[in-house]
Amino acid sequence: MDYKYKNVMVVDDNQIDLYIAEMVMLTTRFAEKVICVGSAREALEYLRPLDESSDGLPTLIFLDINMPEMTGFDFLEEYRRLPDNIRKKCIIMMLTTSLDEQDRKQAEDNEFVKRFLNKPLDRDKLAQLM
Amino acid sequence: MVSGVFGLFMAQFIYQMHGLFEMHFIAFIGSAILITYQNWKLQIPLAALVIVHHASFGYLQYIGYDKVYFTQLDYMTLQTFIIHGILATIVFFICGLWAYQMKLLNERQIQQTYDMGRYQEEQLQRKALLRSNEDLKKSNKELDSFVYSVSHDLRAPLSSMLGVIGLCEMREMDPFMQKNVSLLKTSVRKLDGFIMDILDYSRNARLDMHLQEIHFDEMLTDIFGNLKFMCTDDQKKVDIRLAVRNGIPFYSDKSRLSIILNNLISNSIRYQNPEVADPFVEIQVEVSETGADILVRDNGIGIAEENQGKVFNMFYRVSNKSAGSGLGLYIVKEAVEKLDGVIRLDSETGKGTQFSIRLPNLAHSRFVKQQPQS
Repeated sequence: MDYKYKNVMVVDDNQIDLYIAEMVMLTTRFAEKVICVGSAREALEYLRPLDESSDGLPTLIFLDINMPEMTGFDFLEEYRRLPDNIRKKCIIMMLTTSLDEQDRKQAEDNEFVKRFLNKPLDRDKLAQLM
Repeated sequence: MVSGVFGLFMAQFIYQMHGLFEMHFIAFIGSAILITYQNWKLQIPLAALVIVHHASFGYLQYIGYDKVYFTQLDYMTLQTFIIHGILATIVFFICGLWAYQMKLLNERQIQQTYDMGRYQEEQLQRKALLRSNEDLKKSNKELDSFVYSVSHDLRAPLSSMLGVIGLCEMREMDPFMQKNVSLLKTSVRKLDGFIMDILDYSRNARLDMHLQEIHFDEMLTDIFGNLKFMCTDDQKKVDIRLAVRNGIPFYSDKSRLSIILNNLISNSIRYQNPEVADPFVEIQVEVSETGADILVRDNGIGIAEENQGKVFNMFYRVSNKSAGSGLGLYIVKEAVEKLDGVIRLDSETGKGTQFSIRLPNLAHSRFVKQQPQS
């Protein structure tokens, strides 16, 4: 059986949520490889050296909002400065517990964000993305 | 010293001219009294006194009674008498006028001082009021953001738990484990619902009204999307019947309206009647220039008449089996009140429940934010 996506990245400071996302995606064959990073900075460090032909380039990035040091929105600001060819290949989804209307609006207004999802990530939510 | 000498000279002079000091001193004393007491009415008895004095002494001299000395003149002519009278009256009148104006001036000054004091006091009170208003707003905002971040921090681990439960459910489990995991899920959801109720309550109570155009269809679709997974495994799927008649722009507070509809509809789903074959919830919306009539009707278990007065109370739950926090309908009532609306409950046990809400159209309210022209 095929995997829906080759590489999917999950950015979350919560280790359990990373584990959940990884397990759900692997079990449902949503992703072949899940790149779990614990902070927005780590995610940027991972993305920076890549180019469009890199093997490790994720097609989907699930991004948490509420993270220490650098929030999801801070990440989006930095993400803007990454080269075009990387940004073209990546689709960003917000994955958060936040119910704040303002967070949702800010995410939806951002040009890079495709969807706004509430945690926890489960089979149904992934099915909706397919 | 100079004034003393001058006074003596004047007295001598007056004496040389004619008559006694006393009558001229009466004029001086009278004037002084008028100015001191600042009462113009005193000029009347003073003038009368001079006239009576002149008249009686003049008369005594005239009839030859020589025990009194009134004037150097042998007798006082009527002309002199009248001139004296008129001059005294004029002197008193001028002094009276002076007294009157001085009094007015004094009063005005006192009034001004008083007004000034009051104005300053009012300014101070206004400032204090503004400051406490500002403080209140700030503490409301702080409290709201506190509730917000606390609820976020509480919900984050709950959603992790739900996620892990979801992982468990993806594997085959024996019935015992399946049951336990399902119980765990119910409890976590209940706790999550409770936290969200508290959040709704706080936001309804504290946040400013934010009026915008309401698109009922969109809003209801969102709500049903969120409630889709609410049914427990032993419950039937609830049929949703929508009848929205709008066309006239309706303005209200979106988040509060959403809280109201969300609570009523989720109640209809939660308290469905297991004995009926086709559980449904029907939502009717009719918008007019003045307001919106919203009807949420179901054929659920209903609310007994003796409990109908209590269901809007805080933390009131009809039975121990109630899955909710006991906050839902309380928040609904509070939110309806914030929107200046009214809510009515009609229900019969075993037949169903109907909530009718009337909300004013706040299209012309001063709270409506002008949409930016794009």
